[in-house]
Amino acid sequence: MGEKLIGARMTRTEDVRLLTGRAQFVDDVRPPGVLEAAVLRSTAPHARIVRIDTAAAAAHPGVFAVVTGADVRAVVRAPQPVIWRPDPDARIPPAYPLAVDRVLYEGQAVAAVAATDRATAEDALELIKVEYEPLPAVTTLDQALAPDAPRLHRELPDNVAGRMVVAKGDVATAFAEADVVLRQSFRFARQMGAPLETRGVVATWDPFTSRLDLWLSTQAPNLARELLGEVLGLSVDMIRVRTPDVGGGFGNKFDFYGEEVVAAILSRVSGRPVKLVEDRRESFVATVQSREQHIDVELAARLDGTITGLRGTLHGVLGATLSTIGMSPCWTAAASMTGPYDIPAYEMNVVGVLTNKPPYGSYRGFGLPKANFVHEHLVEMLARHLGLDAHAVRRKNFIPPSAFPYVSPVFVFDSGRYEECLDMCLRAVQRAGWPSFVSAARARGEAVGIGYSFHNEVTGFAPSRIANQSGLQNAGFDEEVVRIDSTGHVTVRTGLSAMGQGLHTALAQVAAHCLGVPLEHVTVVSGDTEACPYTGYGTAASRAAAVGGAAVLNAATRLRAKVLRVAGHLLEVSPDDLVIDDGVVSVVGVPEAAVTLARVGDAAYRRINGLLPEDELPTLEEREVYDPSNVATAYGCTAVLASVDVETGVVTLSGYLIAHDCGTVINPSIVDGQLHGGAAQAIGGALFEQIVHDGSGHALTRSFSDYLMPMATEVPPIGVEHMVTPADHVPGGFKGAGEAGVVGGGAAIAHAVADALSDFGVTVTSLPITPPSLLAAIRKGAGR
Amino acid sequence: MKLTVTCTVNGREVRADCEPRRTLADFLRHDLGLTGVHVGCEQGACGSCTVLLDGATARSCCLLAVQVDGATVTTVEGLADNGVLGPLQEAFRSHHALQCGFCTPGMLATATELLRDNPRPTEAQIRTALSGHLCRCTGYQHIVDAVKAAADPGEPEAGEEQHRS
Ligand code: FES
Ligand code: FES
Repeated sequence: MGEKLIGARMTRTEDVRLLTGRAQFVDDVRPPGVLEAAVLRSTAPHARIVRIDTAAAAAHPGVFAVVTGADVRAVVRAPQPVIWRPDPDARIPPAYPLAVDRVLYEGQAVAAVAATDRATAEDALELIKVEYEPLPAVTTLDQALAPDAPRLHRELPDNVAGRMVVAKGDVATAFAEADVVLRQSFRFARQMGAPLETRGVVATWDPFTSRLDLWLSTQAPNLARELLGEVLGLSVDMIRVRTPDVGGGFGNKFDFYGEEVVAAILSRVSGRPVKLVEDRRESFVATVQSREQHIDVELAARLDGTITGLRGTLHGVLGATLSTIGMSPCWTAAASMTGPYDIPAYEMNVVGVLTNKPPYGSYRGFGLPKANFVHEHLVEMLARHLGLDAHAVRRKNFIPPSAFPYVSPVFVFDSGRYEECLDMCLRAVQRAGWPSFVSAARARGEAVGIGYSFHNEVTGFAPSRIANQSGLQNAGFDEEVVRIDSTGHVTVRTGLSAMGQGLHTALAQVAAHCLGVPLEHVTVVSGDTEACPYTGYGTAASRAAAVGGAAVLNAATRLRAKVLRVAGHLLEVSPDDLVIDDGVVSVVGVPEAAVTLARVGDAAYRRINGLLPEDELPTLEEREVYDPSNVATAYGCTAVLASVDVETGVVTLSGYLIAHDCGTVINPSIVDGQLHGGAAQAIGGALFEQIVHDGSGHALTRSFSDYLMPMATEVPPIGVEHMVTPADHVPGGFKGAGEAGVVGGGAAIAHAVADALSDFGVTVTSLPITPPSLLAAIRKGAGR
Repeated sequence: MKLTVTCTVNGREVRADCEPRRTLADFLRHDLGLTGVHVGCEQGACGSCTVLLDGATARSCCLLAVQVDGATVTTVEGLADNGVLGPLQEAFRSHHALQCGFCTPGMLATATELLRDNPRPTEAQIRTALSGHLCRCTGYQHIVDAVKAAADPGEPEAGEEQHRS
């Protein structure tokens, strides 16, 4: 296969542009005549809109268009689509891009202005007068579920949007026969992905041709195109979505936002291109938020540590309306809560509850960090209760390698060597010298500890039938096109989105590997629905490498066969006797009998007569539509070294190790980077990040000084080790790695803190672990 | 009302008219087309808009363009010479120190200042120097590695804690 590029630590093809300031992010896109828009946002958490007066804003110099909820409502054919419906009976309250009659959370979009520039648009917003009649708001689960709770939507009988059950086996018997039953409640705060580039769109909706042209900072251009079509009543051929460089997504740029529709309508009204980029302050109310769940569970076990049952209730604290992906992160948490363990009986009741807060949407991890936190806490709790070693309990309950494919409550896990991965992590901890560091620190009276978490993760969420069965109104297959041109160079066209994860490098490595060409000879084109093929869903759910990589591999493998046939014709030998290396096709053992790929390309495109076999069509191109038969299960073990200042409750992390298996690795540097970045988000989620609303519904978190994300001084050195268990059913054996880093971190940090504070009997059941909450627990423990 | 600002940007003298309320970041991005200056928060918290102003790092979102009249500004566009990456840029590339690249121009500005003032920083010093910058993608490890690699190859001072595998 020529160069072994699959598995090589190549530098990224994306980097030079980014390092020299030559990238183009959405705010850098400036079509001629572009206007800039700004959105007026509700100052009330819940209110009836009595009156909106936009006359002064419309008359302000430099203003080209002003729209309100009523204007938008008159244009759209459908409310904002909810594409994932794990509960088919869910009550989906209609949501429109701008509030109509009532506002349901502080920061909800109420009106929008397009003007010559953003500052002028913001000036005009100040001239819009809105009269609100306040209504009582609910922000906590208890408030929303109270019998006399104010209702968010009059058409619903209460604030429950939906209920689902995820179950397996005979739970009643498991609990009736259990030696031990443990109970625990968990609370997870609201958090968000907060990509450093905020969301943005540049829309041009031609009033004469009705064609809609968008530049959109998105992870799901095909989906955005289809949903825009649904909402605006356009066939998809009328809509072009281009994706510029994207400054991070983390799921937050997967969802389909009302601003996209608003920008299009402003463009239609003004007859000009309209740019709408949220500023950081509004991102804290305008971008989806995630993670907020209350989970109450019971665990059934035998005295030897065998877990026999798990059951409970998961409340998703949703926003006022459903996001594009509805209640699916809550369902996913329930679907994944048995984790890497063979738990025969399971039942989780999922309840989605509406509150006066921004919608709950996609964020890296998508339910899994909560599921992981719960099962890992329970394993440690059970071990403590029975006087066993926590790792012994893990080993006792791991799904053994012989049990794959393993039918979990929802997904079928393809492969895994969990004990080996745990051992790899434990060895790394020994090698790093943590145990002696801990003993030395403890001898000095310091509170230092090591925590672990083991996770498994469904990646490559793509099989269309599985996606549809889970309630997703969208397929998951991926289409890739690989073409060799007349100079023998390669272009890969992908419908997947590049958002910083190194997609272009990874797909180029797969193509170059299969075709035997140098990496520099491959160009990857993405980010244009008119030039690129289709991908189902979008670039999320740890799909790009596992699904896109496999599709490119299949296409390139077929293309290689055609290259060999043409070369065989040119060299007058059988294609079976040929190899390709470094862009040159040669006869095995006779390196001087060779043709370059450039000559093969020339024969396929230009000087065809006599050079191209008569039974071959010109061109060198293959298109692969790949719909995998199953998801691919990745897994890993995280270890964290933490110390706690018992006087202040401040947690400091000084080491972070991950042993990980994502099948065949395309580029270890990229995978390491994904794990590091996920780890940093796990650290933020475990120790710092929290979106807070006060009791009356006001959004208190509005900037990076309120929403604290970890910096280089809060993130410790991170070490990653790989083991490789290929996914047998995926060409190339790839599994996804995009979300892995964030899944296990919270539990590992919590356990490190608990270990550091074992003298105080502190355990952690809610995130984030803030200094005041930890200090209170320490004081309580000290006073025992 | 518009005011005229004259300054030297990436080695060239420029003059442009702008409103007094124009931030330096918007001035560089919109009036001069230097879109390598990235704006992540507009309140001095994320560091992505950091440029070198008379050789020292400055957050261009927290300055007004009119304040730099007569000054010298270097943006990321001024770090590479004639199509050749500077040593820090090269180190960022070889250490996979960027993913989406949105924080990168600011990181490069601060790392440039750090290595000029302290050619052999320890890992802890690098982390402290970068601690005014948010990166949501990389977890910082590879950025720290890159800055270390771009530093003077002499031994960093001893005494660092090391808990990596
Ligand atoms: S944009 Fe200037 S510090 Fe964030
Ligand atoms: S590389 Fe994306 S924010 Fe740093």
